[in-house]
Amino acid sequence: MNPQLQILIALQDILFLIREAKDPTQKKTLDKIGLKMDNLTSLESTRVELEGQLRLSILSEYNRVRQRYGRIVAPVIKGICYGCFVKIPSAIDASEKRNQKLHRCENCGMFLYWVDR
Amino acid sequence: MKISEILSPERINLDLKATTKEGVLRELVKLLKLSTAAQKSLLATLITREELGSTGVGSGIAIPHCRSLVAGELVVAIGRSRTGVNFRSMDGKRAYLFFLIVAPPLGDPSQYLIALGKVAQAASRISKDKRVKDFKQRKQFMDLVAELEA
Repeated sequence: MNPQLQILIALQDILFLIREAKDPTQKKTLDKIGLKMDNLTSLESTRVELEGQLRLSILSEYNRVRQRYGRIVAPVIKGICYGCFVKIPSAIDASEKRNQKLHRCENCGMFLYWVDR
Repeated sequence: MKISEILSPERINLDLKATTKEGVLRELVKLLKLSTAAQKSLLATLITREELGSTGVGSGIAIPHCRSLVAGELVVAIGRSRTGVNFRSMDGKRAYLFFLIVAPPLGDPSQYLIALGKVAQAASRISKDKRVKDFKQRKQFMDLVAELEA
């Protein structure tokens, strides 16, 4: 996998974790099960650290996409971008090495990740 | 939603070898048969989740979980350690049974929470069943999960 894509995926997963930890409904449910989500500071510092590993050009696009959608990477399933539900050009979608390059959706601009099926 | 419907024998490991929290997570992730890169990403997210607060809920149970982009669907994997692992559980005791839950980030978050709740409920009942420590076949575990959900 493209190393920058790997970082973007880690960042997206962390953003979801932060959102979950801050959502009172989710937090209440998880607390009831005994699953604590208290150490938000550590999560924020991991996020900052990972952002620092992005190339500057990618970081500015990451910030733009994140601000617009609240997410950065869209999964691609069966050739469809799950950020905007538009079909990805076949030439890109059919490539076996598609996750080894950093692709963005031509329609919504989100970074793309082809999910293992 | 029933756990027995999303669990499969190949996602059960009755003999985890790991002696550390990270090692257990690695063995559980391996059960999902993802690509090497996807496994690496998922493991990193699960470790980050543990930093937020341990998923060791006590009574010998841990429920590591996260929503991750690398997951195509809601998946559950189960591991059993004979010696137990220090998972920094709430009760300070070792964890022996591990229930991994991974969900895609898209979709209804309430479904994920429902799944977590059901797994926690099943995990608690499974841990109290004395037969579990003697199970040799993954099918026995599958049958118990189905029995508890019937």
